[in-house]
Amino acid sequence: MVDFMLAAVISAFLNIGLLLVAIATYAQNWRVIRSYYTSGLVLVAALLLIQNIVIVLFWFTLYMDDKALMMSADMIAHYLFAINVIQTIGLSVLVWITRR
Amino acid sequence: MFGAIVIFSVVPLLEIIPKNIFSFSGSDGEDFQPDPRFKMILWLFIAGSRGGPNRAKILNLLLKTPMNAHQISKTLNLDHKTVAHHLKILAKNELIEKAEKTYAAEYQISQIMSRNHNVLKEIMEKIGTK
Repeated sequence: MVDFMLAAVISAFLNIGLLLVAIATYAQNWRVIRSYYTSGLVLVAALLLIQNIVIVLFWFTLYMDDKALMMSADMIAHYLFAINVIQTIGLSVLVWITRR
Repeated sequence: MFGAIVIFSVVPLLEIIPKNIFSFSGSDGEDFQPDPRFKMILWLFIAGSRGGPNRAKILNLLLKTPMNAHQISKTLNLDHKTVAHHLKILAKNELIEKAEKTYAAEYQISQIMSRNHNVLKEIMEKIGTK
């Protein structure tokens, strides 16, 4: 059986990696072009990075603190998995365009 | 009767819609205003991609005179392969056009880029001498 919660967290780690690549590129451009476009791109990517870090922290809290909470979380894990995987696909496309 | 009411109420509304809102090529004529969607796309193309500032510099160079990859790499002091890659991407996105000859082909600014050159000037002002 697929452990959706684990898969969701792996996906969140992938998102963090992809976002770090995007932020590095946007920050390089921001150093040369100081405008609200370049600042905005860095800000959006940084906020998405925080979102994914919170997802990982959420997963750790569930599994470390409360067994009962973990059981209920497992019932909805496939939704979290779907959200994260869709984001991974989206970010992969974004990073591919950014690095071309 | 109902049709007439509809026509008389819609026609004045059409007058307030900017004429070039559905065109992507910018406005023609003397009172030039850059296309806001082109402006957004060019900004994202330059600010949101690796080597974006170099692409802006290449576009700025081609705005003055058509050049080939070798001339561009010499002028901007960039690696030839890097310039060739940027030129390929710029041509793919229809910001520049390649001359038909195969050896040392010159590149020139596309019509849409030429019409909206003010956007590039704005970006180049931000880049300055960096």
